[in-house]
Amino acid sequence: MSLIRRWGAVAVIALALLVLAPDSAHACPVCFDPRDENRFAFLATTIFLSLLPLGLVAGILLWIRHRSRQMACDEPSPDSVVPQGS
Amino acid sequence: MTAPSASLAGRAVQARRQQVLPNGVLGMLVFVLTEVMLFAGLISAHAIAMAGATEWPPLNQPRLPVVVTLLNTVALLVSGGMLAWAQRAWRRSSQTVNPPLFGALALGLFFVLMQGREWVALIREGLTLTSSTYGGFFYLIVGAHALHALAAILALAWAWRRLAVGRLAEAQLATVAVFWYFVVLVWPFIYIRVYL
Repeated sequence: MSLIRRWGAVAVIALALLVLAPDSAHACPVCFDPRDENRFAFLATTIFLSLLPLGLVAGILLWIRHRSRQMACDEPSPDSVVPQGS
Repeated sequence: MTAPSASLAGRAVQARRQQVLPNGVLGMLVFVLTEVMLFAGLISAHAIAMAGATEWPPLNQPRLPVVVTLLNTVALLVSGGMLAWAQRAWRRSSQTVNPPLFGALALGLFFVLMQGREWVALIREGLTLTSSTYGGFFYLIVGAHALHALAAILALAWAWRRLAVGRLAEAQLATVAVFWYFVVLVWPFIYIRVYL
């Protein structure tokens, strides 16, 4: 039981170090730039670059679906075709 | 299955498998998607560099010609409009496509030549690829666009030549048009981000 408690304590301390240590390291001088302008630019471009490909692919798929439906509407219905010889 | 019902089933399958858009256009759309991401990455990097700089543009660097480039931008947009006109004219008759297609090509050439003239003036004033981050980003982004514009102009010239000899297909014109529309529509974003 004491062995489990000891390893549990070690795991909690290791986890705490993993979570807290990078916060105090400030390894990247750009990401942690204290100026609001730079932080906003980072956030805005991250959102922009994340959403842009999804938006483009979705836009093309919607356009293809719209075109496909339009072509289906323009196409004469098979029921309207009168078989020859009938 | 009787003969008429087999014929109807065949027609239904044919209708389901009808091509929604030409292969060339689809391929060009996929290519344009990757190019949009390239320019989005460049513009984003420029935005971050601009936000991190203490002075933008740097005090010792020449200013970009905003008004002349605005006129150039209008010429490029009109060129895109002329190509749209050429595509619309195709639906009536392929005989009426030549003037608007040539107009789009000529205005595209005008845009590239004016950009080249602008570059020469800026290099003389001291803005080079290595003079500052500002210069580096300017030549990288505008240069990448100029390369695309040149490639698209070559494609337009190829389409115009094929039209002259009566060998241009509508799908080929549409494929070239997708690339030209990309070159035209990405430019205003570059102009707003880099020049203003």
